[in-house]
Amino acid sequence: MTLDTHPTLPEFEYIRPATLAEASDFLARHAGEARPFLGGTDVFVRMRDGFLTPRYLVDVKRLDGMNDLRFDPQAGLTIGAAVNMNRVAAAPEVQAHYPLLAEACRTVASYQLRTRATIVGNICNASPAGDTIGACLLFDGVLHIQGVDGPRLEPLKSFFLGPGKTTLKPGDIVTAIQFPLPPQGCQGTYIKLGRNKLSDLSIVGVTALGCPDAACASGYRFRVALTSVAPVPLVAGAVETCLAENPITPDAIQEAARLAAEASTPIDDVRGSARYRKQMVGKLSARALNAVWRKLG
Amino acid sequence: MVEPKVQGNISPVGENKPRIDAREKVTGAAVYADDIQFGNGLLHARIKRSPHPHALIKKIDVTKARALPGVKAVVTGEDFPGYIGLYLQDRYIFCRDRVRYVGDPVAGVAASSVEIAEQALDLIEVEYELLPPVLDPEFGAGAEAPLLHPDLGKYVVANFIFPQAGTNISNHFKIRKGDVDGAWEQCAAVVERKYRIPHIQHVPIETHVAIAKVEVTGEITLWGSSQSPFAQRNLIAQSMGISQSKMRVIAPFVGGGFGCKAGVSMEALAVAIATKVKGHPVKLVLTREEEFYTAFVRQGLVAYFKIGCDAQGRLLAMENKFYWDGGAYTEYGVNVTRASGYSSSGPYEVPNIKTDSCCVYTNHPVGGPMRGFGMPEMHAGLEQCIDELALQIKMDAVDFRRLNCLKTGSSLVTGSRMHPTGLPQCIEKAADAIGWGRKAPASAPNKRRGKGLALMWKAPAMPPNAGSSAWVELAEDGSLNVGVGGQDLGQGVFTVAAQMAAAALGVPYESVRVAIPVDTRYSPYEWQTVASRLTWSMGNAIVNAAKDARRQILETVSAAWEEPIENLDIVNGVVISFKSEKEVPLKNLVIYGLPKPDGQGWRGGPIVGRGNFMPTYVTGLDPETGQGERAVVHYTTGAQAVELEVDLETGRIDILRGVSAFDVGKAINPELVKAQMEGGFVQGMSSALFESLQLKGGVLQNPSFVDYRIATSTDAPKDLEAFIVEVPQDDGPWGARGIGEHSMVPTIPAIANAIYDAVGIRLDGPPFTAEKVYLAMLDAGIVK
Amino acid sequence: MAFHKINITVNGAQEQVVVPSNMTLMQMLRESLALTGTKNGCSAGECGACTALMNGEPVNTCMVLAAECDGVEIVTVEGLADDNRLSPLQEAMLATGGVQCGFCTPGVLISSRALLDRNPNPSEDEIREALVGNLCRCTGYVRIIEAVKAAARTQVAASA
Ligand SMILES: Cc1cc2nc3c(=O)[nH]c(=O)nc-3n(C[C@H](O)[C@H](O)[C@H](O)COP(=O)(O)OP(=O)(O)OC[C@H]3O[C@@H](n4cnc5c(N)ncnc54)[C@H](O)[C@@H]3O)c2cc1C
Ligand code: FES
Ligand code: FES
Repeated sequence: MTLDTHPTLPEFEYIRPATLAEASDFLARHAGEARPFLGGTDVFVRMRDGFLTPRYLVDVKRLDGMNDLRFDPQAGLTIGAAVNMNRVAAAPEVQAHYPLLAEACRTVASYQLRTRATIVGNICNASPAGDTIGACLLFDGVLHIQGVDGPRLEPLKSFFLGPGKTTLKPGDIVTAIQFPLPPQGCQGTYIKLGRNKLSDLSIVGVTALGCPDAACASGYRFRVALTSVAPVPLVAGAVETCLAENPITPDAIQEAARLAAEASTPIDDVRGSARYRKQMVGKLSARALNAVWRKLG
Repeated sequence: MVEPKVQGNISPVGENKPRIDAREKVTGAAVYADDIQFGNGLLHARIKRSPHPHALIKKIDVTKARALPGVKAVVTGEDFPGYIGLYLQDRYIFCRDRVRYVGDPVAGVAASSVEIAEQALDLIEVEYELLPPVLDPEFGAGAEAPLLHPDLGKYVVANFIFPQAGTNISNHFKIRKGDVDGAWEQCAAVVERKYRIPHIQHVPIETHVAIAKVEVTGEITLWGSSQSPFAQRNLIAQSMGISQSKMRVIAPFVGGGFGCKAGVSMEALAVAIATKVKGHPVKLVLTREEEFYTAFVRQGLVAYFKIGCDAQGRLLAMENKFYWDGGAYTEYGVNVTRASGYSSSGPYEVPNIKTDSCCVYTNHPVGGPMRGFGMPEMHAGLEQCIDELALQIKMDAVDFRRLNCLKTGSSLVTGSRMHPTGLPQCIEKAADAIGWGRKAPASAPNKRRGKGLALMWKAPAMPPNAGSSAWVELAEDGSLNVGVGGQDLGQGVFTVAAQMAAAALGVPYESVRVAIPVDTRYSPYEWQTVASRLTWSMGNAIVNAAKDARRQILETVSAAWEEPIENLDIVNGVVISFKSEKEVPLKNLVIYGLPKPDGQGWRGGPIVGRGNFMPTYVTGLDPETGQGERAVVHYTTGAQAVELEVDLETGRIDILRGVSAFDVGKAINPELVKAQMEGGFVQGMSSALFESLQLKGGVLQNPSFVDYRIATSTDAPKDLEAFIVEVPQDDGPWGARGIGEHSMVPTIPAIANAIYDAVGIRLDGPPFTAEKVYLAMLDAGIVK
Repeated sequence: MAFHKINITVNGAQEQVVVPSNMTLMQMLRESLALTGTKNGCSAGECGACTALMNGEPVNTCMVLAAECDGVEIVTVEGLADDNRLSPLQEAMLATGGVQCGFCTPGVLISSRALLDRNPNPSEDEIREALVGNLCRCTGYVRIIEAVKAAARTQVAASA
């Protein structure tokens, strides 16, 4: 019960391995009692609440490559796991090619929290409400993971298994997230509905990305990701199909928004009711799609 | 008459003097309770609390906890049999026989570290027998409800509080004025409504902190984040059965209070634990989560209103029923019930009125004082009914208020007459500034714009004999030291105290210090820093103290100069004679006096002025009718207006503009007054849009900032205006009366009225969250 | 429990502190270094009262482990004034009346200082956004926002 929230962090041992291999090995050997962390903004909160009781916290922030942010005109963008959200939001490469990602980062908590909070932490935390996850999904993010058996790549779209559950295994460390070049001419938006204007967790989050695409009958490809309305962040496939096949009209957008609402499976919680959330998925999907459509001009 | 030689506008009253404590606060030097350094002897306390809303304690086993290395003491209710409470002593320091809310303290631990104290809590075993909880005040007031305080009839209680033994009603306040039943048929319009106002928290950014130390001699010192050092001295000493002289309370800077740090709450826990580890300071700091669970809450309210007026719009009758969700203990909340009763007409003249205001025990968090003391909750419904009534008879809502609002000499709900009041001017200022009657276009097609206005009144709610005292003394350089027992919670009262003392004595503001921190051993008595009463009550005491010092000074000089006192004045720190044009700076006489001629010795001596104030004219009210000569000292009145937009797609409300106008009698420091109006508006707005303690089965669902949201910098309106109206208070210093609490009283109904203006919906209570507004619009067919 | 020896620069002074693993930077500042200007309002990253600059960027010090701070540079509210000379931001807070109880003030000053460092001429919306993580229950924010605007004007004027 949160009444028992600790005044301070409970006891644990802070570990800072020198190499990735060492870190991974330590985590694997202490499976169940060791946990990697980056900004700690999720981990510490859950430790004070008593939900997490790790014996070891493994600081993976200063490991090789974790702080790199690189853009390659051929390969796209790679963001080291430890790069904080303010850095992502301010990076010229991100602003130029993936402004949606910067926009999503800026909706998280507060500036001072984002000095610590990371996109990879947001993803690994696997909250259905993670604000940066929609953008990462729509940009087809791929995680670089260092496991006990060496490095591997894992697409984000198959990463989430449930609230707080991912495909990560003991010893796995996400070292970076990589994005291919964004679709030519794409435009996006993130609409976060919280109780406050800013800084709250989302009641509903709608991320939309659209781009011209000759392969689609409508000439455009639109994608919508929904957060806080299902056990895992959701890409509403029906929206994409609907707007690929039908000419983009206000009615088509309404229909797509309706399909988004239909795809959502929200629950009641302290932040909002399922009924309201479902309504909002529809309204905000329409708003987001219209905004993107306008930007596509 | 000779012009005084010392020139310049020397009275700082009415001037925007800089805050006396701001420099310390912007440099990090200001010391708050948790900042005091106690060294290695400091022990840390944690509290074992009930996880159940209602249960009997069958057994508490602390043996394992006591055995844990590092644990210095474990205490339970067994050790402290005394009751405690402000108006009604219905509470033990630690629970003894039963627990009545989730968070009720059952045991306390002192240990050498917080971590060890925490571990010890887990080792304390408590056996409970669960009892059915009371979770609704209306149900709780009924005969079927389980009895939460079987001993209610035996509790010590103030003589103006009326507990009903054998029920859960700890106070029943009644108003019976005129002939309500007969009046309904003369009404052309009647509105009947029910509202539910949720529990909210005060949310000072500093949580409660207390450090207690008990000497081997039994002398107790308590350092606390406190609005009420003297009340804490008195009540804790009483409960522990010791002399008040053995209890010393030191109150450093307070990081916000808003009522929750008044009276006694967790401070008694720290003191109780400290009695078992004599010689060691014991620190108890509430976590933010504990603060949400266990600090005084603004109690919930279920309110019924029936209000009628004639065809011309004149209010004829009111019948009000208030069920206050007082929570587990209502030692303080009982007086909220009373205050809302004697103010239940709102700021209107109503010839026929019947009110029943009941404080009901429930198994919810403990209700207590919060900024507004029942008035925001009561006005939330009442001021919406007024709008609805105006609408029914097709009268403009502001015209309706102009017609019915209290004016100087109006007959009040309690039978007495209204003192001079600027309420009509407040209405004009607010209506004018918001552009009443003019509808501006919405900023986007999916938005609707609306305006709303609401009035308020509020008296300081306190016992009739709540007193203040003050002293002033001068130093060798002529600087003035002002002793007060009131506390600066951020409202700026130390600054205002310095301004008043400077003006009353005749010294420059810059030469005044306030003797802080307040320390009950050295500071003069002050009842409590509550009820927006300090500028007025403590101000009067300061003026009296300054007058006393002035008299002493002038008598000395008059004798020395052989001039009548009437010729003398103190201007800018210099005693002058209008007649002889002689002058002597204060520093030349306030310590050592003045020499007599020819080595004949000295006259005068160190100057210490003392003064007190108590409103000796306050009378009681008849327990059956609530009628009396002068129930309260005065009413501050005011109006607020808002302009807002509702987003039709989400239900989100954006407050575009907020206007406040209050009659403060006299603004001693106008900018500080305006700062109260702004801060109060935003706090009121926050309670209107975001805040509620979500209680499910007695268990709080949102005990942290994650899910108890308050207004942030991005939510506050960009356009906030504050107007000061000054119709002097006959017994206020320079005519001043209070403003601290009033500024959040009319905000909820002003916003509710504006929402109605924008989209035509009314909700049964705040918070007006986007979800509630949207779903109401959906259900009403306003949006699809 | 494990302890760590860290070297840290706080308000220009070099310090060596031994800290347990579970100590936050906030606790270290307040308890080990007695720099109590940094306030604890929630220990959960929500209120911003504990905000300090870490290598020039604002952080919630309750959300940083002291053990992580080896080699780090910290500025707290105590480091804002130059000896006895208040910074333009501090002066502006006095002038506009942005201080009431003062408990949020240290965090507000640090966040504002960081804002002006990265954006010397912020718009009102940018100021509000930069302060969204600093809860203030007293002022209603208006005078705080005025203070940041005023400080920005002073700084721009001074550097012109
Ligand atoms: C006050 C406050 C407000 C917040 N507001 C928001 C908000 O508005 N929106 C939002 O989305 N979130 C919010 N959060 C949650 C949190 O800040 C974000 O999820 C953040 O992105 C987490 O990043 P981090 O680096 O701090 O993660 P950490 O706490 O360090 O880690 C998060 C999780 O990922 C695991 N992990 C960390 N690094 C790795 C790695 N390299 N490999 C594998 N697993 C790893 C950890 O074990 C942990 O389970 C808020 C948190 C706080 C305290
Ligand atoms: S104490 Fe760190 S954010 Fe509240
Ligand atoms: S001044 Fe009190 S919290 Fe901001």
